[in-house]
Amino acid sequence: MTNRTAVLTQALLVAAFIAGPSFAADDEALKKDMTAVIALQGLPCGQVVAVKVNAENDFACTCKDGNRYRVYVNAAGRVVVEKQR
Amino acid sequence: MRLAQVSFLLVLVAGCAGVAPDAPVTPNAEVVGLQTTTTVQPEPVAPQSTAPRPTAAATPATSAASQPVPTETAARASPTAAVAEKKSAARETQAPAATTRPPTAAASSATAARPPSPPAAAIPPPAAPAALDLNALKAQLKETKAIGVLTKLSLKNQVDDLMQQFRDFYQGKAKVTMVQLRRSYDLLLMKVLSLVQDADQKLASAIVASREAIWGLLADPKKFATLEG
Repeated sequence: MTNRTAVLTQALLVAAFIAGPSFAADDEALKKDMTAVIALQGLPCGQVVAVKVNAENDFACTCKDGNRYRVYVNAAGRVVVEKQR
Repeated sequence: MRLAQVSFLLVLVAGCAGVAPDAPVTPNAEVVGLQTTTTVQPEPVAPQSTAPRPTAAATPATSAASQPVPTETAARASPTAAVAEKKSAARETQAPAATTRPPTAAASSATAARPPSPPAAAIPPPAAPAALDLNALKAQLKETKAIGVLTKLSLKNQVDDLMQQFRDFYQGKAKVTMVQLRRSYDLLLMKVLSLVQDADQKLASAIVASREAIWGLLADPKKFATLEG
């Protein structure tokens, strides 16, 4: 029983190790995308350091300079960047 | 059994260690790309963009607004070439003058008669416009992984906005001038290039090569109409 538990723990550990970099890469790509979107709107940001997914195509971004933005795609298909307080 | 498990774990962890550096490298490249866009970008563009812009600015805005568009575009094409030729000629003539004249003489004769213009053979012919494959360019932009989905959508929005401005201009609705439209076009192209140039240099050079050809389509109302249809 303890053997099985140990194997299960190790398997979970391995899975976490494998999944970790993949998630990190996705996260970095998303941050890069958001940084570009905010910069394209001419808004101050510098670099997006954190992204929270609110819904599909709806994100809350935190910039390196402290600014926070909501980035979403509206019904007309336009990317909207709203400054958050 | 335990040894096998441990060795399996080690192999996987080593595998992950091999993957790990990829993630930090991309943001660094991105940061460098974003920061250096303003400095790196002008290199390929400078020879093309610096020449037409002053001419565009020098062209009276009133004439651009009041005259019909075909004349404006024609006026735009020929004076830019003329000014570019003049500039290159001036560079060629100034360079030898600086080397032959002593510095004191150069200071005193700054307003003196300039050396005669070089022979026509010395002037390099203007570069022929690159062949434009708009559909291929569109496909490349859609497929490139250099920019994210939302960035692409945002760029598309801005392209649509610019197209609308051209539409309004040709319909006489907008108060913008062709010079302003050219400025907006240049800015948009610069944005696209800055996003693409680090990760997809092939696409960036294709865009740079097509720059004037695309402008040719936009600046001519007839060609623009075919573009719309």
